[in-house]
Amino acid sequence: MKMQRLLGSLICCSFLAAGATAADPVPPLDLPESQATSAAEMKPYEEVIEHTDATIEMLPIPGGVFTMGTPDTEEGREDSEGPLHQVEVSPFWMGKYEITWEQYEIWGDELDTIRRRLLKSKETPRDAVVDGFTRPTEPYTDMTFGMGSGRHPAICMTQHAARTYCQWLSAKTGRYYRLPTEAEWEYACRAGTKTAYSFGDDPEMLDDYAWYGENTNDQYEPVGQKKPNPWGLYDMHGNVSEWVLDQYLPDFYKTSAKLNPLAIPKVLFPRVVRGGGWDNDPELLRSGARIASSEEWKEQDPQLPQSIWYHTDALSVGFRIVRPLTVPSEKERAEFWENTQPEQLDPPEGE
Amino acid sequence: MSNQSKTPESQDTRRDFIKATGTVAAAATFAATAAPQVHAAEDNTIQVALVGCGGRGTGAAVNALSVDNGPIKLVAMADVFPKNLERSQKNISNAFKDQEGKVDVPEERQFVDFDAYKKAMDVLRPGDVVILATPPAFRWVHFSYAIEKGLNVFMEKPVTVDGPTTVRIMELNKKAKEKNLKVAVGLMCRHCKARQELFERIQGGEIGEINMLRAYRMAGPTGTAACGPKPEGTSELMYQIANFHGFLWLSGGAVSDFLIHNIDETCWMKNDWPVKVHASGGRHYRGDDVDQNFDSYAMEYTFADGTKMYIGGRTMPGCRSEFASYAHGSKGMAVISTASHTPAKSRIYRGQVADKANLAWEFGQPEPNPYQLEWDDLIAAIREDSEYNEVDRGAMASIVTSMGRMAAHTGQEITLDQMMAHKHEFAPGIDKLTLDSPAPLQAGDDGRYPIPLPGIVKKQEYLS
Repeated sequence: MKMQRLLGSLICCSFLAAGATAADPVPPLDLPESQATSAAEMKPYEEVIEHTDATIEMLPIPGGVFTMGTPDTEEGREDSEGPLHQVEVSPFWMGKYEITWEQYEIWGDELDTIRRRLLKSKETPRDAVVDGFTRPTEPYTDMTFGMGSGRHPAICMTQHAARTYCQWLSAKTGRYYRLPTEAEWEYACRAGTKTAYSFGDDPEMLDDYAWYGENTNDQYEPVGQKKPNPWGLYDMHGNVSEWVLDQYLPDFYKTSAKLNPLAIPKVLFPRVVRGGGWDNDPELLRSGARIASSEEWKEQDPQLPQSIWYHTDALSVGFRIVRPLTVPSEKERAEFWENTQPEQLDPPEGE
Repeated sequence: MSNQSKTPESQDTRRDFIKATGTVAAAATFAATAAPQVHAAEDNTIQVALVGCGGRGTGAAVNALSVDNGPIKLVAMADVFPKNLERSQKNISNAFKDQEGKVDVPEERQFVDFDAYKKAMDVLRPGDVVILATPPAFRWVHFSYAIEKGLNVFMEKPVTVDGPTTVRIMELNKKAKEKNLKVAVGLMCRHCKARQELFERIQGGEIGEINMLRAYRMAGPTGTAACGPKPEGTSELMYQIANFHGFLWLSGGAVSDFLIHNIDETCWMKNDWPVKVHASGGRHYRGDDVDQNFDSYAMEYTFADGTKMYIGGRTMPGCRSEFASYAHGSKGMAVISTASHTPAKSRIYRGQVADKANLAWEFGQPEPNPYQLEWDDLIAAIREDSEYNEVDRGAMASIVTSMGRMAAHTGQEITLDQMMAHKHEFAPGIDKLTLDSPAPLQAGDDGRYPIPLPGIVKKQEYLS
């Protein structure tokens, strides 16, 4: 299994960097509910991860224009949350919940492949692509840190790991998934609201909507237990912060594009997570709050050089996925949506 | 080695010269028969050699060079894989690129072969430090030579993998003690401030009578515990060493390597070693794997007073994971360590439910890193010439862990006395290995290695 993984990563680094279906696109797994040619046709659906028991619930998010950023008057506002500016985002589906361990560990532990072999299941056209896919190196420790797996959110992954998971999922399903941009994330989090939180300005009400520093037992909670936001998304505030595609640039709002803005990452740190987590104070859970990743998130990693897959100290950082209605071309993916520097490569395997 | 007699005067002179800033737990006493190593007054630099340049050895070397109580530098390295050594040297150099002279290992002091350990230690002077971080099979061999050369030692855990080598290393250690060598064992949890305070509190009765202990390292596939068929053209011996978690003679397998810390810290809180153990385990999703490990282990140890200690080990993907240790008492329960080894976040709860509302005590965060503390303590002991020897304790932790493994592998109850007297040495003559030697463990015609057969092979862990 290990040898095969090595082979996989060699192949993948070259041709899969720009998305999984690069070689020759495979037919997607047939899910009628997932099909739409216009925003009006978009429906909620459950993505199926073949050869596993896991599914991922997706909700349609209509495209639209919104005011991104935080008004000066908002408690806890940072300068980087301004200026207020108009942004238009195109329609997409978004995960109803944060990606859970159950959904995430399939990729790292190859649970789908193992099951397929054990049950001698019939191969699907997608399996061949997935078999050679980049997987993360083994973690050096229990990455749940004893807080629970299953429906608990996956944590401690680098943005690179979250991006690679999306590429794997795209190959696995034949549908294009990626991380949201910072703009898409804030648009979906606000869900038409202009207040500090999607339920208003009063942090006292957080307990109904979010897991955060004051109502958790020093750990994350299973997804989807609090109330959703107006568009039906759960845990956008709290539980775990969520990776977006962007580089953290404090002045980005001054110059960002009006349509589908994205700060393509050029350096490893800082990048953006959103929404705050189980160990944060209320102000970091605000719809407009921007959280920057830092090298401190790797402090405990005892490996030299440190892993490209794990942030050993980011115990309240996870992600959720989106699927754009309009699928970008290979070129657009490579140059825009999945463009990121520096290239992340595992050190060569030792003897 | 130089046998300088120590007078209070020379001691004072040296103290003036070597200002140790680290704290030392042990009282600075020394036996009258001891012949301590004293660094010549004109040079108080401690030189370090690294034997075994894998991930842990590299990490240990970085911790060693980070001790900040006087000049210390890395001068020699040894491994059987040139690439390991090269990568390790590069990574350690990178870690200290701003500190001139910390890493001084030119090509002529990089040694590759089974006798490389001798060459690396030959570079050192008596009183310098050698790091023994190869798979544990070689520990007694390397320790013997270090004692002969009058070197202080840092040896990684486990220190033994079976009964005979445990007896042997304890015997060797008598010589190390006679020579007053400082010997550390890489059970770094013992140096953790949080666990130390928890130990005091438990011994002080804060959770009442301890009546049950439990510890887990249940995770996905770990290290090289599960390894596939040997590629064509690779030597069997080198393949096994590269995948050492897969082979009992080299590492004691998944149990010894992965569970020893949790077993050791849990026994520490009980302040005792268990007297017997029975256990179960099995191989389940093994596909083409050729290693000797089970992928799950459940062990029940018993202490002399009847207290039970339950240990769970698993290396299966997709299952519930837990990596923690607990002690339960008549008044409350303690979390010895929370997840992985550090930070321990040790704490005590009233009653048996670990809920915020019942919290009685917790160690404040952040915690100092025990991987660094174990080095601070060792180097301080060397500079202050205080007694420092962790081998017997490390050997006990190793054999207690091995006896749980043997109980699972044979399907029998094993007592500590039986284990100590057991005659099956996994790799006799390992001190004579060369690059061309046949591997101590041979694969069958199908390329698979002998696995334990509980209930069928009962007197030793596998037939070879």
